[in-house]
Amino acid sequence: MTGPGGPDPDHFEALFHQAPCGYLITDDAGRITAVNETFVRWTGYSRSGLVGSKLQSLMPVGDQILYSTHCIPQLGINGAVSEIAVEIIAADGGRRAALLSASRSPGSGQEPASVRVIIFSAHERRMYERELVSALRAAEEAEARRAQAEKELQHLALHDALTGLPNRAGLKAKLDAVPAGGGLAVLFIDLDHFKAVNDSLGHAAGDDLLVSVANRLRAAVPGTGIVARLSGDEFVVVDSFAGSREATGLAAGLLEILKTPILIEGLEIVTSASIGVAVNGDDDETPEDLVRRADIAMYRAKELGRSRWELHQPAESDYTVDRLRALGELRRGINDGALRVHYQPRIDLHTGRATGVEALVRWQHPTRGLLPPSEFITMAEESGLVRPLGAWVLGETLRQADNWRRESRRGADLDFAVNLSARQLSDPGLVTMVEDALRLRGIDSSHLLLEITETALMADPGGALDSLTALKNLGVGLAVDDFGTGYSSLTYLKKFPIDELKIDRSFINGLGSDSGDSAIVGSCIDLAHAVGIRAVAEGVETSGQVQTLKDMGCDLAQGFHFARPLPAPALKEWLDAHTRDERAGA
Amino acid sequence: MVEAVASAVSPVIRRNNVTVSGRADGPVMLFAHGYGCDQAMWRRLVPYFSDTHRLVLFDNVGAGRSDVEAYDREKYGSLAGYAADLLEICEALDLKDVILVAHSVSAMVGVIAAAQEPERFSRLVLVAPSPRYTNDPAHGYVGGFSKEDIEGLLASLDSNYFAWAEALAPMAMGNPEDPELSEELRSSFCRTDPAIASHFARVTFLSDTRNILDQVGTDSLVLQCSEDLLAPPEVGSYVHRHLAHSTLVQLQATGHCPHVSAPQDTAQAILNYLSGSP
Repeated sequence: MTGPGGPDPDHFEALFHQAPCGYLITDDAGRITAVNETFVRWTGYSRSGLVGSKLQSLMPVGDQILYSTHCIPQLGINGAVSEIAVEIIAADGGRRAALLSASRSPGSGQEPASVRVIIFSAHERRMYERELVSALRAAEEAEARRAQAEKELQHLALHDALTGLPNRAGLKAKLDAVPAGGGLAVLFIDLDHFKAVNDSLGHAAGDDLLVSVANRLRAAVPGTGIVARLSGDEFVVVDSFAGSREATGLAAGLLEILKTPILIEGLEIVTSASIGVAVNGDDDETPEDLVRRADIAMYRAKELGRSRWELHQPAESDYTVDRLRALGELRRGINDGALRVHYQPRIDLHTGRATGVEALVRWQHPTRGLLPPSEFITMAEESGLVRPLGAWVLGETLRQADNWRRESRRGADLDFAVNLSARQLSDPGLVTMVEDALRLRGIDSSHLLLEITETALMADPGGALDSLTALKNLGVGLAVDDFGTGYSSLTYLKKFPIDELKIDRSFINGLGSDSGDSAIVGSCIDLAHAVGIRAVAEGVETSGQVQTLKDMGCDLAQGFHFARPLPAPALKEWLDAHTRDERAGA
Repeated sequence: MVEAVASAVSPVIRRNNVTVSGRADGPVMLFAHGYGCDQAMWRRLVPYFSDTHRLVLFDNVGAGRSDVEAYDREKYGSLAGYAADLLEICEALDLKDVILVAHSVSAMVGVIAAAQEPERFSRLVLVAPSPRYTNDPAHGYVGGFSKEDIEGLLASLDSNYFAWAEALAPMAMGNPEDPELSEELRSSFCRTDPAIASHFARVTFLSDTRNILDQVGTDSLVLQCSEDLLAPPEVGSYVHRHLAHSTLVQLQATGHCPHVSAPQDTAQAILNYLSGSP
């Protein structure tokens, strides 16, 4: 009793035991020292069972961990926890949702610290909170799904669907993150003859090949490296290297790995690649510049025979770049059928009859239109592309010759003049190539005339003599083209087994107006006749020129005066018309 | 007294809410708190060392007053992310010969850090460490919990989602007299972003760092509590067996946080250990 109106201890007792919530007192470790009736009834345990045991032991393990890691230190430091959601496992094994608040008295002197705990039944609140949390989780998941979808979309935009490698945009994104500077190198990889696989086995096989190549590259390139597929059969590897030797070492390794046969649709396919390597030399160079330089080096690797790597030197000029780009286009042009042959009639000045045609190549360029040989032959000559180009022109001309021969008697009489380049002349396979081409179409070798420029002839007279002799033995006619522009030497001229001298158009141009040119043309014709061969005038444009040439005793002539070089069907029409005129005139 | 370290020094300092106190020219003690709390949990222990040692405390990212924005689920998807932070703190403050005092999961974070940069640490004091909380019957390992138990913990965290978020503000009534505790500290104590708490729980309680123990040669003290739900005695002796240069001390203190419940005993055990030659 504390006096009138003061609290009655019995009331405290009742308040403690009959309160509408559980009251407990524990020590710092959670051991229960006192517990009220409400809690005893609510849990169904006996009072003696509860006192002495740990409060945490009434909770499921998850709550125990939370209580140990969070509530006990918080009680120790802060002195209180409030409204912690826990479950109490009742005597019947059922779980009772509860809210737990507690405060701690530090204790003093002999008095140990104690923790006063209130536990509310929180069934309703727990349900409510669970709903809220599950709604929150659902919202988080939806957000995560959205983020994932966005990520996947971005992945799609930056990756090649076939191989899973970064595409051109993906490579750019990755390169943007790479700091420019020394040590970075780019390997530009282009498969050799990929088109042949696609053409012969179909696109599905081509795709299989690309996937297999992508996997091989991915496995062979160190984890630090980037492997990307730019387009078609072009792949790029970017990585840091200790030096150019290490970079070309990887290139050599990749060439070997790619050479291992791949089994596609039951067929063993052996593929190879050409690789261009560019190593960063200075800090200003961007990764994009490196890719461009590696691309150029790759073209050179192709030029030099494929299945090899080439290292780009930073000093290589833009001229080289343009030239290599143009070479790449020409190479594709040859492969993709962009070349054409036009035919210009050759007229016998004695009879006025068209006795043959000169085959002249044209390149149907994708953006620049139909190009004459002057636009690309030098480049082809320098790069060695002139060999496949020359072979194609000969083959195509003989195919056409075969067609015309079958069509008419007139067609069968025609001679075909085809140009040979200096490179072709030095090609040991030339004679076999010509022989095979003739045999393929069944054309009599006497109907073929090969034209060699004077310059080509004089570049390696000894080698030229051997080749020309061999061709002569086939029965093929031989002409010296552009005569008068080089170092004409009668001595050499006599040595070569040639049948015809073609006087350069620049002299024909001056006929009738320039007495010097007339003298040159006259002596060329005399020279030809002196060694027993035909004289042919090129670039004849006027009837006056025709007359002068006739007067000089020139044997054959060609030029716009008669006809410009024409596609095969137009030439055929011209020839038919010309033949009618011949007859009419005869 | 606690001196806040100028955050201009390094972003790491602000990210982990690093505080430095104690004797400026004393040997360095670095305190790493465990799961469920923050650096304030060392409050009762640090006074025993403040006259003799330079004390560096910090909050794990996601806990206390760390920079929650720095929480990267990928980085902190394994304990290695926390170990990287620990080493970055050492580097930012140029700490050498560090005596690392680490509790619970952070004890293993410290072990990972010591395996990576052994030269950084002179001693490791591991309070209630556990390299794996779940049992591994295939290898006869007793961690104390089953996977289902851990799922129960995660469910329990979900139930406390709002409590975590509201920072568990202390009750106005029945508050103990504790004038040392500033109101600010009181309200931030053990505050954790609920989503981070859930992720950290998963990472912590499903971690397995047993194979790292063999890689550590740093002199170590293993403090094993009595009746520790999270680290049963088998775990303490396992850690002791696998740490080459370790001392195992059994504390009378019960529970998982002896530095909170029995700071004096804990401090004494550490002082005894530190006074011995390594």
